[in-house]
Parts: sequence; structure tokens; C-alpha cells
Amino acid sequence: MGSRRNNLIVLALVVVLLGVAAYFIFIKEPVTQSTQLGLDLQGGVSAQLQGSQSGGGKVTREEIQQAADLIRQRIDRLGVAEPDVRVQSDDQIVVQIPGIENPEEVIRIIGSTAQLGFYQVLAADAQPNIPEDEIGATKKDIEETLQDDDAFEKGQTKILFEETPSVQGRGTDVNGYIVNKTPDMTGDALQQNGATVEFNQQTGKRIVSLELTAEGGRQMGELTQSMLADAAASGEPALLGIALDQDMQSAPQVTEPLGQNISISNDSLPEGLPEDEATQLETVLNTGALPVNMTVISETTVGPTLGLSSLKSGLFASLVGFVLVLLLLLFIYRALGVVADIALLIYAFLLWGLIVIIPVTVTLPGIAGVVLSVGVAADANVVIFERIKEEIRRGKTPRSAIQAGYDKGFRAILDGNVTTLITAFILFALSSGSVRGFAVLLALGVVLSMFTAVVITRALLGLLGDRGIQLSPALMGVSKASMTATRQPQQQARVK
Amino acid sequence: MFENVDFARGWKLYFSISGVLLFAGLVAIALGGLNLGIDFQGGSQFTVANADRQVNEEQIRDALPPELAGDAVITTLGQNGYEIRTPVVGGQEEQGQIQDALSEASGGEVSVTTVSPAFGEQVRNQALQAVVAALLIIVVYISFRFQFSFALAAMAALMHDILMTVGFYAIVGREVSLVTVVAILTVLGYSVYDTIIIFDRIRENTPTVGYNRRRFDDTINRSIHQVIRRSIYTTIFSLIPITALLIFGETTLSDFAFALLVGIAAGAYSSIFIASPVLSLYKAWRAGAIRREPQRA
Repeated sequence: MGSRRNNLIVLALVVVLLGVAAYFIFIKEPVTQSTQLGLDLQGGVSAQLQGSQSGGGKVTREEIQQAADLIRQRIDRLGVAEPDVRVQSDDQIVVQIPGIENPEEVIRIIGSTAQLGFYQVLAADAQPNIPEDEIGATKKDIEETLQDDDAFEKGQTKILFEETPSVQGRGTDVNGYIVNKTPDMTGDALQQNGATVEFNQQTGKRIVSLELTAEGGRQMGELTQSMLADAAASGEPALLGIALDQDMQSAPQVTEPLGQNISISNDSLPEGLPEDEATQLETVLNTGALPVNMTVISETTVGPTLGLSSLKSGLFASLVGFVLVLLLLLFIYRALGVVADIALLIYAFLLWGLIVIIPVTVTLPGIAGVVLSVGVAADANVVIFERIKEEIRRGKTPRSAIQAGYDKGFRAILDGNVTTLITAFILFALSSGSVRGFAVLLALGVVLSMFTAVVITRALLGLLGDRGIQLSPALMGVSKASMTATRQPQQQARVK
Repeated sequence: MFENVDFARGWKLYFSISGVLLFAGLVAIALGGLNLGIDFQGGSQFTVANADRQVNEEQIRDALPPELAGDAVITTLGQNGYEIRTPVVGGQEEQGQIQDALSEASGGEVSVTTVSPAFGEQVRNQALQAVVAALLIIVVYISFRFQFSFALAAMAALMHDILMTVGFYAIVGREVSLVTVVAILTVLGYSVYDTIIIFDRIRENTPTVGYNRRRFDDTINRSIHQVIRRSIYTTIFSLIPITALLIFGETTLSDFAFALLVGIAAGAYSSIFIASPVLSLYKAWRAGAIRREPQRA
């Protein structure tokens, strides 16, 4: 064990560390902002998306990375605060957005492949004013009607639906369209950043105008030309279907060949396209289509109230547990307990400091990890103190007993903590999201607890011994009776 | 403490106590007592917080779409909270509609978790992999730091703890979620720690002269006597904060704490009453096998 000077240096270092921790927790930022809380504690949306190829092929790492970048751009355009978009495995992306109000909409935007398609409408059917809970049934109905249509050819064509609020404001108009299976033109025809929300100059209604590339404009001209020719032959109006993935956005009637500029509109509503729908369209069209299909495989939305109550109950439970541990240490180990308690308090504060500095996002399982690590930290002290008491019972002086206790106890603590670290690493490697928070905090706690038990407690005890404070066996929780008992030659009682 | 208990030779009693409990757990599992959460099989879970009116199960069921209402599992959380578990909900829109309906019925804030069945399967496989990987690495580590016989004994204790925890889950019927698996892995770490503290003493106390069954069993007993107080204190020190979580924490924390409570208690028991006797029995069997060998040859 080091001299008095060494112990003082160690303690001075600890004070500096505490100062650094206090600076980061309280002074650099207000304490309410310094600790990063996970979505389960502050509310928000977390979604896990799985990428897949339409043809069933394998998704490459580049494609998933590209998809993640596009998703991040889309969220940024929505103006949501601090989104976290991460590639999780070869084909999965995790998106976490704290505290937003309309999670369904956001998830729809980030998840849609957003493949823009222009289709010639081959046949159409519509049913107006459908109440919300009958939409599904109505779609089936329309589907059956259209499948009987001459234009429908299995394998060659497909049916797309469009839902728009009714003009009279009662229910929804459901339209079904027969179109070719593959789009007649795709989003490749769109100019970069070519989608803009605008207002029609004549009607004043909100539209999304699309500017096509020169090549796109030429193709569009050809497509509409042939549509008009077909229409003239059949007498039906020529409809140009504009679809995003499998949702028809609008199907305006074409009266003359179109060029580079077209628009998506909704004439049935007084304002034109609803505002949020228009913004969504603009966002996904301008960020471009995702290279792969994304499906939401798991999604969690936590309201701020639930998050806050989880946080409160978690903190309260940890605090109660922590205080009880402190009291019990005091009760069992008396003077040694005081030292252990001081070390544990230092431990808790330093752990908090590390959480803020690194920074580690605190989740609900993370709180559990912290609580567990308090047990681990208390235990490191218990192992050493029991050794010290044992040595005192054998008649050693407190000073040499402390020395021996550390030397012999350390090996056991090291072995034990290594196994806990192993489990923490496995958890980290094989899991995701909030479970990782648990693993990180547990590992951090274990390493820090070794530091406090071995370095800080030892320095404190060394200083106590040097100060000439008489640590009687009783002060260390060793009873007179047990001392005489163990000093007698040990005879093992054999049962049986 | 426990001066008169023979840890190494009393295995018949210790094994029967565990055996009875494990059997009860296995029966509960066989009877379908394991309540797998949506993490493993997919589904949706709606959590209502801060409801400002008391609603009964019937009213909640009415707020759900008819095709889901039948399969929904509804539980009450505290004073003004509800948890509703349903099969996977169709799409974003439907989920939003259910959220609105529930919030309208109860006046509370509705949070949702949805897991697709395919992802649930993936989570289940990952969880199993994690447990197996943990067991293997721990065995390798102990074999490396001690001997294979110690690793084998520790392994027996660990299997005991896992089965005991899962069995108790089945008996009580608490929901098994991803968090439960995390708890089980944590229990493994704890239990091994406990076992290692004892094995470390046995290693320290074992004389370097050759193996002798009586002497080795006495060494085991002496070592356990020396550390049993530590084992008990450690268990208490870990269980205090965990009990606080069990009582004061909300669902996730409480479930987690329950698994830890059972697991750590089982781990403390197994490191003393399972690992050490197994070590004694295995050593005796090995010694017997080696002695018999030359005779046969």
C-alpha cells in the first residue's frame, strides 16, 4: 500500500474528477439538458425498417446506406429536431425521433419507397361519399368490377386506388384505376428538386408542380399524344395517372399533349391539395426514391407523459435502492461502512459524469443497468471488507489486515467482474436499441466500480489508518466472540 | 455461519429441493404458462397513460376495431393506465385510428409498440444465440482461469438458474419480453461471479498434493464456510435495489426486476448448493475412472 502522500495524491485526483463531472453535469448545460434521455423516457418515435428487393434479391450494404441517407434527408426536410438514423445490420435501419406529434405521418414518409410513376389509365371506376369504416369493402367492390373490365389482363395490368375527401365533405371518394403493371414513365424523368408546392394561378388551389427533364418532357409528349389518340378512338376521356409507389396521387384528364411541366392537383377540395399532403409529396419526390423497398418491422411510439412517469418511477426506485444499500453497509461494517458509503457516493456521481461526457443515452433498461451496477460496486467493497475482517479475526493489526484484504480480495473481484463484462459485451453485440443502453451502462458501471473499490476506498482507508485513528475490531464490525472463536485451531464439524 | 452444514456431501437434499422447484416450473411451461410478449411473436401493444376517466375492459374493447377486439388482452396498470395487446395491426392509418379511439374513450395519452411477426422471430433467434454464446464463453473463461471440472460445475449451476427463472416466469405468468432475456443474461453474469468467488477460495485452499476425496470435500466445505457470509451479503446488496425496482418501477422495470430477483436468488443458491457438490462429484468420478483404467488395461 502506498504511503500517506500517495493516498493524498489519489484523493486529490478524485476531487479533480468530481469537479470535472460536476462541471459537465451542472455548469456546462442546465442539468435537465445535460443527460441524454432515450425515447422511452422522453417520448418519441422509434422505428426499425427492413430493406428488401422487389425481385427478392439481396440488399447490399451500399443500398441500405444510401436508403438511410435518403431517409435522413426526408426527416430533415420535415424540420423534426435531432433525428437519429442508423444502419443497424446489413439490411436494417433504425430511425429514432424524439418528441414528435404525428408519428404515423412521419413513419409513412420515411418508409415509402417513393417511386414516382406515370401511367396511362386504361379504365376507371369510382364510388363517392364512402364512410371511413367502409373504405376497405368499397375497394374490394371496385376491384371486382374492374377485374371484369375488358381492359384488365391478369399479369399485364394492375389496379391502383385513390382516396380523396368528398367534395360535399361527407366521407371519402374512392377511385380505382386499371393501369399497366409497370409505369409508363418513372421518377427518373423528374428534374432534380423538380417538385414544388405552388398555387394554381387561375383557381388559387394548392398543387404540386413537377418539372421534368428535357428527355422526360419528350417522353411525356409521346405518352400523352398516344393517350389522346386512344381517347379519340374510344370516346373515353384520357386520364394520366400519377402514382407514388402503389398509391394513385391524382389522375387528371389530359386534353392536349403535355411537355416538361405537369402538376398534381386535387380539384375536389376548395383549397386544392391538403397542405400536409402537398409537403409530403414535395419531400419524398425531391429526395428521390429509395433504392430498396423498406418495411416497418417494429415501431414504438411513446407519449411524453408515459416517458416522464417511467423516468420518475425509475429514478425513485433507484434512489430508494441506493439509500438502502448505503444504510446496510453502514450497519454491517460500521467505520468501514462509512468509507464504503463515501466511495459509493463518489462512484454514483462519477458514473453520472461519464454518462454525460461520453454521452450515453439513458434508457429504461439503462436505469436498470445502473441500479445493478450499484449492487456490483457495493459487492466489491463487501468482498474486500470480509477479507479484512477475516484477517483481523486471525489477529492481524487493522493496517496489515487492510493490506492483506486488498491483495487477496482483488483477484476474486477481477475474475467476477470479467464475467459480468463478458455478458455485457455479448448483449451489446447481439442486440439493438434500448438493450444496448443497458449493456453500455452495466459495463461502464462495472469498470468504474472496480476503480472506486480498489483505488478510492483503499486510499481513504489508508489515510484513516495513518491518521492514528484507532480502528478497533468492533468499529469494523467484528465481534469479540467471533475473534476468539476463529483463533482456536479450526476444526471442521462433519455432519453425517 | 452454517458451521454444521456439509455442503459437499449433502447433495441429495440440495438437488431434490432444486429438482422439485424445477419440475414445478417445467410443468408450468408444459401447460403453456409461458406468456410470450409481442417482442417474440409480433403484435401491437397500446399503452394508455394518465387516463382521466375510469373505463372498464368492455369499454376498451368497444373502442377497438371488431376484428382485433376478440383477441385483445387488456391489463390495468396502476390507477389510470391500461395496456392492450393485440395481433399485428394492419397499417399506419389503422394504428392511428385505434390510438385516437382509445384516447377518446379514456381521455389518456396512448403510446404504441408494434413488432412484425418476422422480426419477432429474428429477436427470438438472437436472444437464444446470445444466451448460448454467453454460456460458451463463460465455460471457456473458467476452463482457462481454473480447470475444466470447475467450468463443468459452473455450467450445471447456470443451467439450473436459467431453468429456474424461466420456470418461475411460467408459474407466475408474467410477460416474457426482450427485457427478460437481458435479465437472464445478467443473471448468468451474476451467478458465475458468485460461483467464481467460491471456486477461487477452493483453488486457494486446495493443497498441491494429489487428489483425495475426503480432503477435497473438506476443502470445499471450508472454502464455502469462509465465503458464505460474503455470498449472502452480496445477494442481499443486489436484491435490495432490485426489490425497489420491482415495487416502484413501472411495467418494464418491474418485469426486469422480477427476473433478476428469481435469477439472482437461484444463482446464490446454485453456486453454493449445486456448483460445489457437482464439482465434488465430478472430481470423485474422474478419480474413480482413472483408478479403474489401469486395472482394465
